[in-house]
Amino acid sequence: MLTLQNVSKSFQTDRIETIALSDINLHIDKGEFVSVMGPSGCGKSTLLNIMGLLDEPSDGTVAIDQKAIESYQDKHITGLRNSKIGFIFQSFHLIHDLKVIDNVELPLLYRSGSTPKISSKERRQMATAALEKVGLSARIHHYPTQLSGGQQQRVAIARAIVSQPEILLADEPTGNLDSHMGDEIMKLLEDLHTQDNVTIVMVTHDDQMAKRTQRIIRVFDGQLIA
Amino acid sequence: MLKNYILTAWKVFLRRKFFTFINLFGISLTLMVLMVTSTIADGYFYPSGPEKNTDNMLMIQRLVVTNDEQNYTFTGGLGYKFIQDNVKRLQTPEMMSINSGARSTSIFHEGVKRTLLVKKTDANFWKILDFEFVDGRGFDDNEWTNGEFVAVINAQTQEQLYGGNSAIGQKLSFGNQTFTIIGVVQNVSAIEEVSLSDIWVPYTTNATNDYKQEIGGEWGVILYHSNPEILKDANKEYINLLKNDLKLDAEATYSKAFSGAFNKLELLSREVFWEEYSYKTYVGLFISVITGMVFIFMLLPSINMINLNVSRVMERSSEIGVRRAFGASKAQLLMQFIIETILITLVGGVIGMLLSIFMLNSIEASGIIPYMQFSFNHRVFLVGLALILIFGIISGAYPAYKMSRLSPVAALKGAI
Repeated sequence: MLTLQNVSKSFQTDRIETIALSDINLHIDKGEFVSVMGPSGCGKSTLLNIMGLLDEPSDGTVAIDQKAIESYQDKHITGLRNSKIGFIFQSFHLIHDLKVIDNVELPLLYRSGSTPKISSKERRQMATAALEKVGLSARIHHYPTQLSGGQQQRVAIARAIVSQPEILLADEPTGNLDSHMGDEIMKLLEDLHTQDNVTIVMVTHDDQMAKRTQRIIRVFDGQLIA
Repeated sequence: MLKNYILTAWKVFLRRKFFTFINLFGISLTLMVLMVTSTIADGYFYPSGPEKNTDNMLMIQRLVVTNDEQNYTFTGGLGYKFIQDNVKRLQTPEMMSINSGARSTSIFHEGVKRTLLVKKTDANFWKILDFEFVDGRGFDDNEWTNGEFVAVINAQTQEQLYGGNSAIGQKLSFGNQTFTIIGVVQNVSAIEEVSLSDIWVPYTTNATNDYKQEIGGEWGVILYHSNPEILKDANKEYINLLKNDLKLDAEATYSKAFSGAFNKLELLSREVFWEEYSYKTYVGLFISVITGMVFIFMLLPSINMINLNVSRVMERSSEIGVRRAFGASKAQLLMQFIIETILITLVGGVIGMLLSIFMLNSIEASGIIPYMQFSFNHRVFLVGLALILIFGIISGAYPAYKMSRLSPVAALKGAI
């Protein structure tokens, strides 16, 4: 499903070069639920960003469905991001100016290329269905700030799954939530994994959460250690 | 997609009311000032009253005469003698009209004192200028040659002096002379300064003939040609005449004359960049200065808006990151921001237009510019539309450009 080959990432500042990832080789199978663990600053988020085509590796290749990404130009990757990948962030990143339903519809607006455009009626239906899945169909006309943290993260999950991506990338999805809400979110991800066979890669600090996934990838100083 | 951009923009405006208000306030106020000035300028350069055939006319209004040492100088209007000896010799114009400046004159009518403007003209004045007669006619060549005591008044004066009744045939006395009113014209806006007056009489009715000996005086000349292209040569001929074939008084007090036959733009430019001993009009400089002023005037609020927009882009960097992460291309986001700016400038523009209509009506009603009547014509409207667009582009382009350079990761972190 997702393959990283000899991937390195370094950041160049005025005087020093910081190596965030070094020679990463990684394969994630279709339908896997994987967690990525490691201390702060070890490169977990960078790894996730590179998997999600949000960031370009300094070296090495990323392949999705055995197809290597050849160009990181806008027109090549926006379509892939839109159709294949869904993101869940630690701080939710909902757009406060938009209602819950509009937030969830957002990925459907950017359909382009080979994927056919969706009518506004269909978009609404798909967004409502996604919100039902996360148990928030009663809140579609609220604004994000009117919801609790757990509810906001559920909206974010609905947004991530609305275009039925094959891969979900979650960057500490429970990091900003208490254990109870965190558990709910985790259950939701597990359901998505088992019921819809979605491939999930989740960065986490929480051992308990990590143990619930099928495989744990540990990162230390930009390298994989297990 | 477009519908969605507009919808998003609308939602953003509603959710950020204060920002929207500040933005709209800046745009509409700037546009209002520009619209009001451009309407006044439009009225000046493209008059709708008697001077509407402005391309067929050149005005000689100022004269500077001096001696060889340039230490004895007269500056002012043209004297009648100077006109007869020099201006009258011009071959280019088909027709000329000699007329005095409009002078405030006290008129006692039915025991009430009124101060009205009186202008002395010839019969050509009525042929060259396109006055709209409410009643009667202007004086003809015979009446002018014979110095008949006839007068044309404007509608406002008819209303003031005779109420609702027709003034034709009525007697009007001032300066120990009594005139018979033979015509009533529509009020002339004060920005048509060559035609402006309340009362017009033949200058041949002057009580004395002293004016006929003057080099400098109170007179101006309108040169007319039915073909504007030919008329353009009149100034060259005039300046050539002043330089090479000047006729001045026998006492030889003066030896040089500086003057010019100008169109409206040149007249205004000469007023602003007044240089005594020169034939130049400085039109190029004048246009540059005005353009520069308008640019600076637009630049300040634009910089303000750019500032506001940039800080708003930074505030919304998380949104930009999210949109990028979920598949928005740079072009799509650029479009979204540009549409937001265009939309807000359009709304601001409409408010600005309404404000300018209100302001222009207020200026009209206040009588600051006598008899001024603003027409909100298509030319001003187009200027306004262009201004709005320029404003939108200036204030929207930079933030949009800055935004489009954000990488999704940086945007999500909120680091720009």
